[in-house]
Amino acid sequence: MNMLEIKQVTKKFGDFIAVDHMSLTVAEGEIFGFLGANGAGKSTTIHMIAGLLRPNAGEIKILGKDIAKHRQFAKRHIGIVPQEIAIYEHLTAYENVEFFAGLYGLRGAELRQRVEEALEFVGLSDKRKSYPKHFSGGMKRRLNIACALAHRPKLIIMDEPTVGIDPQSRNDILASVKKLNEMGCTIIYTSHYMEEVEEICTRIAIIDHGKIIAEGTKEQLEAMITDTKDIWLEIRGMDRLNKEKLQSIHGVKAVQCDDNMVKISSDISVNNLNEIVQCLIHDGVEIRSLEDKSPNLETVFLALTGRNLRD
Amino acid sequence: MNDVIWLVKYTLKRTFRRKINFLLYFGTPLAAILLSLFAYEGSPAKDVRIGVVNEDHGRVADDAIRFLNNIDHLSVKSVKLSAVDDQITSQKVDGVLIFPQGFSESVQHGQPRLIQLVSLKGAEITMFIKSYLHEYIDHLATLGRLANGDRDLFWKMYERYQQAPFRLSVHSLSDKAKQKGVTYQTIGYLVMIMLMSAGNLTEIIIKEKEERTYSRLLTTPIQARTYVLSNIVVNLLMMAAQIIVTIVAMKNIFHIDPHIPMWQMALVLLLFSLSAIGLSLITVMFANSSASAGALQPLVTVPTCMLAGCFWPVELMPEFLQKAAYFIPQRWALDCLVKLQEGRSFGSLYWHLLILLAFALTFFLLAVYKFSRSQQSGQFI
Repeated sequence: MNMLEIKQVTKKFGDFIAVDHMSLTVAEGEIFGFLGANGAGKSTTIHMIAGLLRPNAGEIKILGKDIAKHRQFAKRHIGIVPQEIAIYEHLTAYENVEFFAGLYGLRGAELRQRVEEALEFVGLSDKRKSYPKHFSGGMKRRLNIACALAHRPKLIIMDEPTVGIDPQSRNDILASVKKLNEMGCTIIYTSHYMEEVEEICTRIAIIDHGKIIAEGTKEQLEAMITDTKDIWLEIRGMDRLNKEKLQSIHGVKAVQCDDNMVKISSDISVNNLNEIVQCLIHDGVEIRSLEDKSPNLETVFLALTGRNLRD
Repeated sequence: MNDVIWLVKYTLKRTFRRKINFLLYFGTPLAAILLSLFAYEGSPAKDVRIGVVNEDHGRVADDAIRFLNNIDHLSVKSVKLSAVDDQITSQKVDGVLIFPQGFSESVQHGQPRLIQLVSLKGAEITMFIKSYLHEYIDHLATLGRLANGDRDLFWKMYERYQQAPFRLSVHSLSDKAKQKGVTYQTIGYLVMIMLMSAGNLTEIIIKEKEERTYSRLLTTPIQARTYVLSNIVVNLLMMAAQIIVTIVAMKNIFHIDPHIPMWQMALVLLLFSLSAIGLSLITVMFANSSASAGALQPLVTVPTCMLAGCFWPVELMPEFLQKAAYFIPQRWALDCLVKLQEGRSFGSLYWHLLILLAFALTFFLLAVYKFSRSQQSGQFI
């Protein structure tokens, strides 16, 4: 079953069209990456899914139900981790999670258990009685996440959850996203950090000027801009290199040699790196360095939108 | 309803986590009572010191001086005519009474000679002396006129008058005007404090919007109107608490009798609190940031409170301002309380109560209109 279906959704602010006939589907169990530069329509789309904005046209369904008609149902199944840290400074970590969880109707022993679970999940159990004003940026971000988890949503929307935090906290958050996914949650993840999206997302959509301009797995997106990847090798023992043998490997299109550098051009859709390396080692060539110059999400994004993600 | 209770509980928790808010919401009404008491109490009553120059030495003059000696808060001492100026300029006395020669004789004939009163302190002193002495001498002069020149008859009547064969029982009465004044002033300050409190509490909506917790709240099953309703409930609870604290403190700590049944005073103020909340909601709906709301609230509150007579009796203002004051709910609340102090029944003031309700209703309708417009345009509030 699809967790989220967006059909021909349009949102206008006066004459400005923020989202233009957008259609999108997110299946249950996916970690869906949502990429777009500032002003592309990403936040407006998220706000519409979260029920904060109403579309001018189109339909949004959560678990097959139209959110316009089943707003409460949709809200109960969604957990939002907003980009800005939205917690109360004058409530403890425990009270913050308890407050937001209570808005979903949880009370008593069940509420206490869920709050403890959420704090445990983000690693803030030992800080339950502390006030967020004493927290580091990373801890605040984790509390921000915990507040969206206690009611056990099926769909979690994370809007830039790693902005402004240290690498260790970022790794913790990415690990928790994967863990949530393993626990059965579907995740929509937006980030300015391409490497994060590449690392955790099973499918990615690129939005520009309110429209989805590309959608698919990372490999599918990369294949949209080129069908060739380049592998650069620095070797010792050029005289032992067998060009014909390398060119016979499935997918390899060309082999060029210069001093101790070898450039192997290959079909992007074929994963033949192991065979290439084995071939070289078998022939007694020593590999001193290897660089896979496949197009990445950054280059894909640039090629498709004509601008960098941070523009 | 559970959601409203949940929101109210946590709003109160957040508010009173900051201890200074206890002082802000409950300390200020107590300070208002103290300020009112101070304003009406003034300095303790001091004795008036009067010097007397007796040029007459007749019996009537001597008795008049004895009469003055018996008046509370009045000390009398004999002064020579030549020392009058010195006594007054050196402030050894507040005023000097000069009984002229032949004064007793003139009273006996029913035409008392003028007593000279010299003072640098004006009506504050002279009115006090005049009011006592005028009545006393006037009575004696009446005896003189009735005696019609018959000396024996005059002194006979004079003796009887002095011996006063009637029983006079003296009771000290409490100064109701002062107590009423203190009550009015306290309520005037309380009305302003309530408006300020309503402003502060309603501003929470804008602050939550700025801190993004409001958007987060709206992603939960809570609806915007539920959230605003919870804010209104918090406001009402806080103001009810302020009213109770003020009334209880007035009665039990400061022993001020407002001369109004407590429940009537509480009910009028509670009705006013609805207007205060409505007014603050409008201010917040029109302000686009907590800074602008913070600037707007005093601009609305202070001048309207001044105009309504919260700080001084409205009668002190020009007539057109007195009329303009009736376009403000504070005026109707204060007027209602004054009329209750004057002895009007609660039921007879239904018009005041209805107008207070109408103010609240108008403010709420305006706020709802602005709120729904904001909702439609995606601004949420």
